[in-house]
Amino acid sequence: MWRIAGHLTRGLAMIWAVTTFTFVLIRLMPGDPVQVQYERLIAQGMTPDQAESATAITYGFVPHGPMWKQYLEYMWGLAHLDLGVSVESQGVPVADRVFGALPWTVLLVLSGILISFLIGVVLGVVAAMRRSTMVGHGLSIAGSLLHGVPPFVIGIVLAALFTRRWRWFPSGGHFNGDEVSPGFYYDFIGDVAYHAVLPAASFAVASYGGWLLAMRSSVASVLGDDFLLAAELRGLRPFMRFRYLARNAILPLFTVLAISFGLVFGGSIFIERIFNYPGLGMLLYQSIGARDFSMMSGAFLLITAAVIVANILADVLYTVIDPRVRRQA
Amino acid sequence: MNMGVTIAGLTVTYGDLPAVKDVSLRLEDGTITGLVGESGSGKSTLALSLLGHGNIASGSVFIDGVGDMSKMDKGALRAVRGAKIGYVFQAAQNSLNPLLTVGKQLLDLAKSHGVRDVRGAHPLLRRMGLDPDRVLNSYQHELSGGMRQRVGIMFALVLNAHVLVLDEPTTALDMITQANILQIVREVHADRGLTTLIVTHDVGVVAEVASRVAVMYGGRIVECGSTKEVLANPRHPYTRGLINAIPRLTGPVDVAKPLPGTPPTLGTIPAVGCVFRARCPIRMDVCSAQEPEMIDDVACHAVGVTAK
Ligand SMILES: Nc1ncnc2c1ncn2[C@@H]1O[C@H](COP(=O)(O)OP(=O)(O)O)[C@@H](O)[C@H]1O
Ligand SMILES: [Mg+2]
Repeated sequence: MWRIAGHLTRGLAMIWAVTTFTFVLIRLMPGDPVQVQYERLIAQGMTPDQAESATAITYGFVPHGPMWKQYLEYMWGLAHLDLGVSVESQGVPVADRVFGALPWTVLLVLSGILISFLIGVVLGVVAAMRRSTMVGHGLSIAGSLLHGVPPFVIGIVLAALFTRRWRWFPSGGHFNGDEVSPGFYYDFIGDVAYHAVLPAASFAVASYGGWLLAMRSSVASVLGDDFLLAAELRGLRPFMRFRYLARNAILPLFTVLAISFGLVFGGSIFIERIFNYPGLGMLLYQSIGARDFSMMSGAFLLITAAVIVANILADVLYTVIDPRVRRQA
Repeated sequence: MNMGVTIAGLTVTYGDLPAVKDVSLRLEDGTITGLVGESGSGKSTLALSLLGHGNIASGSVFIDGVGDMSKMDKGALRAVRGAKIGYVFQAAQNSLNPLLTVGKQLLDLAKSHGVRDVRGAHPLLRRMGLDPDRVLNSYQHELSGGMRQRVGIMFALVLNAHVLVLDEPTTALDMITQANILQIVREVHADRGLTTLIVTHDVGVVAEVASRVAVMYGGRIVECGSTKEVLANPRHPYTRGLINAIPRLTGPVDVAKPLPGTPPTLGTIPAVGCVFRARCPIRMDVCSAQEPEMIDDVACHAVGVTAK
């Protein structure tokens, strides 16, 4: 319980830091975007009062007046999940856009991580058990080969191969709106998966090697533990001993899992751009290009929040499977 | 049930190097035998070979009514381990899965051996002064060293094994707990009519619980016999050295004379001649040329000379 409270406190502190940072960024940017919009609206024929309130809706604070007052208004809006409205597509609330994009990014990130985690862990176990055979060496090499290559490089290669060279996979979008309409049925889910395969695979291909190497060394270290020898000397069935081994070996990987969520979420900016996949990262990318600062800060905020939530979830998972932590809590 | 153990000409190797070399020893049914020697002398390797573990290069380990552990296949070994012969680790070693409760691991043990009923654990734990319900619901990290050791003994005996092997069961425990564990070993041994081997580097432990003793050095048994006789009248210079190294509670401290030198490691055990000669106060020329044979329960050229 205390651990989770600690996480929440740290998480809120982080969100506060990020939002304050974006506020400062928006206010102090060279060429002050708030002022720019205000002047543009006036140039379009609005009265100063109209322009001021329109700008206030966009950013969540009145553009003129003391800085601390603007900051408080901004924070007050955020506390009510009011992220302002988009500068670029006028009138569209930022909250609608970012929360609409979020599930798609979560889909990519989650499936990418889970696939690479599963593949890496299984291969890591095999690599550790067959350490001194060709299979073991081969796997270790395969693991280190792509380890450290950033996902976007893999993404570019996959996109070039499978959407340009061979047109096996679609070159963008969540699903093909002409053929399927959203709903919980086979064709739609299939089409969504079809569109998500390559971006998710980019994450998976880039990170399975890390899991493989981590799991291999973890298994190797647990294999030397006395309790496994003890289990053998008690005549425990081989599959039970394997279960003991696997559960103990996978445990330390969960802490890494939390970190990897953050990295992969950050990496989604590039991946979604490469595959033209409209998620949170794509939104952030576009808003940067359009100097759409309210959208930028909204997307940024949500990515931060998602990473924090992922950290908390990973920690809860850890607590569930490790009794040494569980009983302390 | 008659379940003595006969070890004959046993050699156990790590790689090419023998950690146990040509050892013959009989554990009489119903006795506690102490296996004593400095760290690195091959005691654990020998103890593990009783369960058919390790690379047994030659020789045999025959358990009466069970068979030769050195020749069994994996399946047969698995059935015997835990059911006919129990092994207890040193308390400081983690012999339990840290992620499962004692009770859950007990069920795994039962399932592995096709046993349905493990309620025998309750009286056994109570007999050792533990609260069964509490212990079975605990994880390893919630148990003290002494409790772990009792749980280890419970695991070794709950399926009614008749041969019990304990490897340094009191090392790393405080004095009071040590005495407690030894008391328990003595009691369950007597209750259940076991054949027990207790491995230790501490001659005091042997004196306290074992009726027979085997002294090990450099992978060889150099002397064995009844504890009383060997301790009162040690014949091998290594046994004498071990006994003289014990500090007495009474009398001046300087009576204790630590053995000079250090025991050999696997790579430095001499291949020919007596393995103890480098540290031996009474070495002779023959000691470097020829390995002494075990005659009348002692393997020493000097002893042979005086007897002649
Ligand atoms: N797994 C192993 N691999 C290689 N050498 C080992 C291994 N286990 C023990 N040895 C060596 O074998 C010798 C005997 O070890 P051991 O049986 O543990 O002695 P003891 O229990 O008397 O301390 C030592 O020299 C030790 O270094
Ligand atoms: Mg040992």
